[in-house]
Amino acid sequence: MSHSGELLSALLDGELTGEERSAVTAHLRECAECRAEAEGLAGARAAVRSLPALELPPGLLDFPPEVPDALEARRRRRRAPFAWAAAAVVAGVVGVAAVTGGDARPIDLGSVADQHTARVVVDPAIVMVRAPMGAP
Amino acid sequence: MSNGDGVPSWEEVARRYGRKIYTFAYRLTGNPDDAADLVQEVLLRVRRGLDAYTPGSFEGWLWRITRNAFLDDVRRKRRRPTVALPEIDRGEAGSAPPPEDVLAAVRLGEDVQQALLDLPYDFREAVVLCDVVGLSYEEIADAAGVPIGTVRSRIHRGRSMLRERLS
Repeated sequence: MSHSGELLSALLDGELTGEERSAVTAHLRECAECRAEAEGLAGARAAVRSLPALELPPGLLDFPPEVPDALEARRRRRRAPFAWAAAAVVAGVVGVAAVTGGDARPIDLGSVADQHTARVVVDPAIVMVRAPMGAP
Repeated sequence: MSNGDGVPSWEEVARRYGRKIYTFAYRLTGNPDDAADLVQEVLLRVRRGLDAYTPGSFEGWLWRITRNAFLDDVRRKRRRPTVALPEIDRGEAGSAPPPEDVLAAVRLGEDVQQALLDLPYDFREAVVLCDVVGLSYEEIADAAGVPIGTVRSRIHRGRSMLRERLS
């Protein structure tokens, strides 16, 4: 059998089939070179395994139930300009739908901010949306 | 939890795996801030994905998510090159040498960490998932999306390089 190579690492990890393990251990009995390599690999493996366990930074996992939502919200805030634009488009669609709906019902566009947004976005097309325009 | 019928809750995943995910990222980057960010990002992705998760290899699923989140983060930072991985101060010049007996263990840890950082990414990842996280070759193959033979080879080559650097 030629030198064991990567089978040596797998041997250390218990990741060889029975057949492979028998072959490698038989080879190791006869090959000083592979024994030295296995020893070096075992040292490297032990060095990484002996790295100290790390503590999480304090508070990282102290989640009250709403924290996942807060994380989502924070992620969304990073895209705030787009969120604002998206809200404007939605409001605009509502406005246009009201305009093109045909039966001239006044609609409530919600908050003052939304009303303002809707007005900016759909202004050229506004014909029938009455309620928000004169609202205080 | 990985073998029951039930899908773990988001909180269980956070409690049980938060520290492992943090350690994984820290050993791959040497950077505590990146590691903390990764924990939060992974837990978000887990939370979104839990509904679609069908019980199977939970570890494989979790570490696939973790790995993808990590690589996305690396790619994002590469596009903004002002964020650099910090060099570990190895205390070779300038300051007074620390007491050998007190800090020998700490420095050994730093040497091993630095040697890990010097490995090509694929080797580093395989070694960290095996020796730090404690996954089997099969779980690593699942997480990285490569055959088991590739995992075996990466771990071996990674350890061989570590052995040279640490000797």
